[in-house]
Amino acid sequence: MIESIWQYILAGVVVGAIYALIAAGFVLIYQVTGLINFAQGEFAMIGAMTAASLATAGMPVFEAAAIAVAAAALTGALCYVLAIRPARAATGVTLIFITLGLDVALRGLGLFVWGTNPLSLDPFTGGSAITVFGGKLPPQAMWVLLTDVAVFGALYLFFRHTYAGTAVRAAVANPPIASTFGIPLRTFAFWSFVVAAAIGGLGGVVIAPITSATYDMGLTFGLAGFVAAVLGGLESLPGALLGGFVLGIVTKVAGGLFSTGWEEAVGFVILVLVLVLRPQGLLGRAVRRA
Amino acid sequence: MTALAATAAATLAVRGVTVRFGGVVAVDDVTFDARTGEVLGVMGPNGAGKTTLFNVISGVQRPTTGDVSLSGTALTGRSVEDVAARGVTRTFQTPVMFWGLTVRESIEVAVAAREFGGTYPPAPYRELVPSGLGSSGRRRAESALRERADAMLARAGIAAMADRPTESLAFGEERLLELARALAVAPTVLLLDEPLSGLNPDEVEAVVASIRAARADGVAVLLVEHAVGELLAVADRVVVLDHGRMIAEGAPQAVAADPVVIDAYIGDELE
Repeated sequence: MIESIWQYILAGVVVGAIYALIAAGFVLIYQVTGLINFAQGEFAMIGAMTAASLATAGMPVFEAAAIAVAAAALTGALCYVLAIRPARAATGVTLIFITLGLDVALRGLGLFVWGTNPLSLDPFTGGSAITVFGGKLPPQAMWVLLTDVAVFGALYLFFRHTYAGTAVRAAVANPPIASTFGIPLRTFAFWSFVVAAAIGGLGGVVIAPITSATYDMGLTFGLAGFVAAVLGGLESLPGALLGGFVLGIVTKVAGGLFSTGWEEAVGFVILVLVLVLRPQGLLGRAVRRA
Repeated sequence: MTALAATAAATLAVRGVTVRFGGVVAVDDVTFDARTGEVLGVMGPNGAGKTTLFNVISGVQRPTTGDVSLSGTALTGRSVEDVAARGVTRTFQTPVMFWGLTVRESIEVAVAAREFGGTYPPAPYRELVPSGLGSSGRRRAESALRERADAMLARAGIAAMADRPTESLAFGEERLLELARALAVAPTVLLLDEPLSGLNPDEVEAVVASIRAARADGVAVLLVEHAVGELLAVADRVVVLDHGRMIAEGAPQAVAADPVVIDAYIGDELE
């Protein structure tokens, strides 16, 4: 029994790492623009499907991965330029509906381009399963976890050790005043979509060898990433990381102990509990806003 | 000096500015100049239109009629960002902080804004390289920025609180930081909205010293302040607003002795 639970936890860590990446995209865009982008999961789909289709066509996996991440980033850029920026004067509810529309449109695009059949992507490296205290992890899991380390490490370096990162934090703290210091809010909004999409695409690429890639995978990952972001705190990147792992582990353990049908149900129970008991999330805080 | 020469020397020219909110006239046909290296006091009772005037100059509020220009370039109609990029910086009645940043980071934002101008950041890819990982030229540039930020902190007398988060500052400390942050941009025009309000005597002295230093650096300082004594002491010229109209303009002591001004404003202040 304990061995089984440990195996579920390891599985939860792997999928939670992807949830954390999707959640990071939610947080980035929310921090910079105040917008919840419900199309975030589709960037993972674009990344996974592009990489899988290119690799299937014979391209080396790392080249396919690089192009897939670029394709996701380009998709994010187009979403902002074509759908979000023209409607920047709209209300928050309108913008949320726009992102929901983007979500449906991108999923439809995925269906149109790749069809309903799942695509597979070879693991980045071969080898046998990795044993961790008796539990087994596929070799690809290391790539998933390394991706989290690299992405969150890069985000930490950017926000804490570059002037542009400090400027973004100033823009997040007080957009109108930041703009009077020459900080270009629209430029930052554009780049938040590009980076969030690239991170989502990267998440899709690294998880594809484990889960395979389907045109509708973005819905599942998007909802999970949203729950993880709310769980950790919509204004907190460390919260996104924590929220992703907690959600991944809890849902996988619940699914393993009871039924896989419980996984999503548990995720939404967590969402409701957080919104009722701690709306600012695990690592969120009541920020003083001017 | 001819009228033409006087206009040419003006850094900031406010011409016939009127702002109406429905039936309320907040600013009524106001015209004045603010010149390089002078402190222009802007006096008037509450509701006189002083803050609205600052909003017009800084691009927050578009005037109903009239215009504002800086060294001959029109500011009216430009975005807040564009006006700021052209050297107009302001502080607020209630200090506005960047919560989540430290005092040093708040100054660094301003110093970087000055370095990169209105196109900040000019090359996002370049900014992605953290200090220590970039080229030697890049490290030198970052080092120079950091040194300038340290110098600004020292000049404002807030170096001791450089690493404190802005959330931890007392009200007076927030005022000092807000002023230092505004000066770190190296503005051409500095709009100060009641910068002495709520300060203890030491803090008042520090703010007045910073204003005089800015004037010596050639900044045109527009100072809205209800502390009439301090305003008259530091200002080179004064304009007085009442119900949106400019009722006096001139040297501080002459304006203070003007019966119209005394009746409309100073008399109330001294009671």
